[in-house]
Amino acid sequence: MGKKEKDIEQRNNEEKDIEQNDAGQSSGREKKTARKGGRIIRMFLCVLQHIFLGTAVIALLIVVSGSTIHVNGLNTRMSFHMFHQNRGISYEDSDMFNSIFGYMIADIIRYGVVSSQLETDGAFDGSKVIDVTAFNYRDRGLPEHYVTADYRLDDLLKWANYGFEWTTAEMTQSQADSFLAPQTKVTIVDHDSQYYNTSDAGYLKSDIETYTYVNDVSANQLWEVSDGDYTGFVDGYEEDVTVSYSDGPVEIAVSEAADDGSAGTYDIMVNRYKTTENKNLEEYVSDWDLYYDLCNNVQNAANSLVHNYNEYQQYNEYYGYDNTNVRYMIMKTVGDQTQFYSNLNDQKTLEDVGEYMRTNGGDPVLAQQWGKYIFYNPEDMVYKTNTAIAEGTVRNLLQNYDYAYPESVKVWISVDTTYPVDDAFRQGWEGFRNYLPSFWQLLALALVSGVIYFVLLCYLSVTAGSQVDADGKRTVCLRPFDRIPTEPAVLIAAGAAVLAVGIVFILTELFDIDPTNIITSDLYLKKWFLALMFVLIFAADSVFVFFFFSLIRRIKARILWKNSWLRGLMNRAKEFVWNVYDNGHVVLRTWVPYGILLAANFILLFAALAGDGAVRVIGLVLLIAFDIFVGSLIYRNAREQQEIVDGIEKISGGQLEYQVKTEALHGYNLILADSVNSIGNGIKEAVEISMKDERMKADLITNVSHDIKTPLTSIINYVDLIKREQVNDEKIRSYIQVLDEKSQRLKQLTDDLVEASKISSGNISLNFEKINLVELMNQTIGEFSEKFDAKRLTAVMNVNVQDSVIEADSRRMWRVMENLFNNIYKYAMEGTRVYLTIDHLPDMTGCIRVSVKNISAAPLNCSPDELTERFIRGDESRTTEGSGLGLSIAKNLTEAQKGTFRIELDADLFTVTLTFPLADR
Amino acid sequence: MANILICDDDREIVDAIEIYLLQEGYTIFKAYDGEQAIKILKEQTIHLLIIDVMMPRLDGIHATLKIREYSSIPIIILSAKSEDNDKILGLNIGADDYVTKPFNPLELVARVKSNLRRYTTLGNLNTENNALFQVGGLCINDDTKEVTVDGEAVKLTPIEYNILLLLVKNCGRVFSIDQIYESIWNEEAIGADNTVAVHIRHIREKIEINPKEPRYLKVVWGVGYKIEKQ
Repeated sequence: MGKKEKDIEQRNNEEKDIEQNDAGQSSGREKKTARKGGRIIRMFLCVLQHIFLGTAVIALLIVVSGSTIHVNGLNTRMSFHMFHQNRGISYEDSDMFNSIFGYMIADIIRYGVVSSQLETDGAFDGSKVIDVTAFNYRDRGLPEHYVTADYRLDDLLKWANYGFEWTTAEMTQSQADSFLAPQTKVTIVDHDSQYYNTSDAGYLKSDIETYTYVNDVSANQLWEVSDGDYTGFVDGYEEDVTVSYSDGPVEIAVSEAADDGSAGTYDIMVNRYKTTENKNLEEYVSDWDLYYDLCNNVQNAANSLVHNYNEYQQYNEYYGYDNTNVRYMIMKTVGDQTQFYSNLNDQKTLEDVGEYMRTNGGDPVLAQQWGKYIFYNPEDMVYKTNTAIAEGTVRNLLQNYDYAYPESVKVWISVDTTYPVDDAFRQGWEGFRNYLPSFWQLLALALVSGVIYFVLLCYLSVTAGSQVDADGKRTVCLRPFDRIPTEPAVLIAAGAAVLAVGIVFILTELFDIDPTNIITSDLYLKKWFLALMFVLIFAADSVFVFFFFSLIRRIKARILWKNSWLRGLMNRAKEFVWNVYDNGHVVLRTWVPYGILLAANFILLFAALAGDGAVRVIGLVLLIAFDIFVGSLIYRNAREQQEIVDGIEKISGGQLEYQVKTEALHGYNLILADSVNSIGNGIKEAVEISMKDERMKADLITNVSHDIKTPLTSIINYVDLIKREQVNDEKIRSYIQVLDEKSQRLKQLTDDLVEASKISSGNISLNFEKINLVELMNQTIGEFSEKFDAKRLTAVMNVNVQDSVIEADSRRMWRVMENLFNNIYKYAMEGTRVYLTIDHLPDMTGCIRVSVKNISAAPLNCSPDELTERFIRGDESRTTEGSGLGLSIAKNLTEAQKGTFRIELDADLFTVTLTFPLADR
Repeated sequence: MANILICDDDREIVDAIEIYLLQEGYTIFKAYDGEQAIKILKEQTIHLLIIDVMMPRLDGIHATLKIREYSSIPIIILSAKSEDNDKILGLNIGADDYVTKPFNPLELVARVKSNLRRYTTLGNLNTENNALFQVGGLCINDDTKEVTVDGEAVKLTPIEYNILLLLVKNCGRVFSIDQIYESIWNEEAIGADNTVAVHIRHIREKIEINPKEPRYLKVVWGVGYKIEKQ
């Protein structure tokens, strides 16, 4: 079909389509309205979806925010989330109450520690004496010997607040030596004392002086310290003393004065305050290292005390009697002295509580005077409480400060559960009474809305872009946005996300909202905030859905990848490479890829060997991937060649219509395949033309023969009529004889001509059946018996086979035999024998051979092949009867019946040999 | 005697056939195309039609088809088309015989006679006699050992007669040479022999109009011989 015809056909089809559209316009309009209706329903569902999401989020926000209670701790704001299990129990049994109480207990124990450092008899005492080294080592234990200085507490606090100053001094060795004291004052801890304990030491001079015994909580050992007995100036002691505990935070650069008397630079701390002995620090040590250690100790002790003093003031404020619902008392017995810390201000109550504690909680009524309480006495292992706080909690808290709390400590802490003061407990109490009344309803609303949202989202996702076209088929309907390539669409979506974040940021700034703290804020109570949230969620979900459904439609329409720029880019690159490869010179096609392969292998291999870890792995993976890629290319090339070779074999095997598929081929293979195809086409055309010619020739001969036969009929008939007339003239009778013979020969000739052309053009149909060659031979001999007798030919038949059944068309076989025998009849020498042999081929028992031998009357001076060529006969017989087609027809018919036909000439011996495959039994 | 219509566009052939048939004593009508032939058939009483295939106006095949709508007279098609397909077509559409050009005039005359005899004497035979065997126009009376073809007596030798009787008795069955030999000579056939084939050929020459295209005694090449059922 020509191109033009195709075009016309296509145009016709289009016209048909238009007609169909015209015909279906009324129904199309209905469909359009239906589609419009569907779109409206879809939009409605979308809006519904946004509303449900907004409802779900806001309900959840209210549920979470509304069930969170905030209380003000000492320095922090504590948030407690209320759960279902808090319903139906009293506030005092709740986790929140116990948590607050736990915090308070920890605070108060710490308060006690700080107080013990700063107070004397329940009030701040600035005149307290602090042993700075012992204070620094309060939680580590003192070494055996140590150098120290005692300062007043208020001096240290003021010093730390003011800051420590250092100066530098240029001093020679001797000046430096004389700057320090001649001897170091060392305080010695008595090893032999039964009170000695390395892990504990009195760090408050006042304590040590006031109380002989310092209680040790864990070891229960006491050691006695007496200034007079155990400390003093020891002559030459500095030579032997090794002080190894210097770990001051101040690194001081000292260039020691050299022995030759030249000056060195020394850092010296300015003595803003003197010790209790009214001395400077340098007067306690004779060694510069010890001097710096002592300075460090002073600094550290002062800084720690300042920190603790600040804490102490906060505690004083927070746990003052009028500021808290907590009532507490910590009682420490050191030696025969009892210290107590409490915020009770009523003497009677103090005595009652003191009595209660001395009796280890003997009066339970008192303990519960304010409601909830704990009482702990580690010495007697008494722990009493009506709260959920465990003994271990309190014990751990106390053990953190075992330097401050001896084992004889007693702790009593109580909470006034009438909450007269507005403190953390009261805040918690109020929140607990009021939190979210419709918790379950809101939670259910949030859940149901969320579920509906997801159901709608799923439904809309599944149906996104689906539409039913005119043929009732489901297709994907794309929106304009879906036609935007994938990457810009992703960019737009990202831009929308950034915009959304920006809007949220601006709004939080505008309304002064802390976005990280929305849950713990009270914003949920404000209607404008909820409305804003709803609008934001609605808008955000609309935008999300817009992009999400677009993504789904893209996936459904399979354009997500197809419409992406990345794919276009890759295709372009691929095309470029193939184009270069396909059109490149042979050098470009072979050596360049080979060079690239080698270079890539070397580079990647070296990179892998040189690199380590991830680089090596990546290098090796790339190397392997690249080599596999190249291998697959080589394989593909070989496969393409194989396809072409297969194609060539098929074409050469006779499948002339076979075409090598060229779509997937490249480079030389493409050229090769195209050439093979065109060669195949050429051969096919040539064969077709030749077949057509042959057929036309056969048709021509057949038609001409019909036209010849009609006049020939008249000739034969009238010759015969003349013969019937009584012609006496001998001459005329001989003429008539010639006419008769030649007209008969002409008849024979036309018949043979038609038959020969039909056979050679393959224009005959064969009807195969089983026939017996011996029988056929006998029948043929019978048919020709008169003719042979007339020429005195004797047929001698030899049969050397048991089975002579072959598959052939019986009438054609008769034609073969008839022609052979006619040939013999015509050309055999008169009076000779004709040998007919039927036997097997010597080497092939599956084949049967028929040979017909006779002596030619005329010498045979032509080749056997010529005898079977049409219109060729032995020259001598050209003028005698016969068309010269007999052997040719016999040969063609034999071969058409899967036999072979061979003529041998040996002098005058004329042999025709036929072979046929035996029929299957 | 009988009226014969000859129809061919080649007038010389029609004239030649007329001469042969006049000699046999038939009344001849002549037509030169199919329409003329049909017209004459309607006007005259015709006993047999010889018609050519390739003719102007109405060809032989269509004319035969039309004639067969109302007439059962013997029709002999005379055509230059000698292909098997042409013959099969002609015989299938209702012709009784098919003769190819160029034809042997004597054969044509014989076929005319044969067809006329069968047409006129059809069904007149006495079939009560058990010794009477008939296949088409071939009739064997085993009592009188007489063989007739279309009513004309044929002279056969005893062996020929026995072979023909065997084949006619087992009409349609194919006998190989060996089988025939064994039944006729009552001897085992040792080795192939062409004696039977020669006899068969002689029989064919005696009972067939054209021995090369036998109507009754057919050669199944490579298998044997049989009498075709009519």
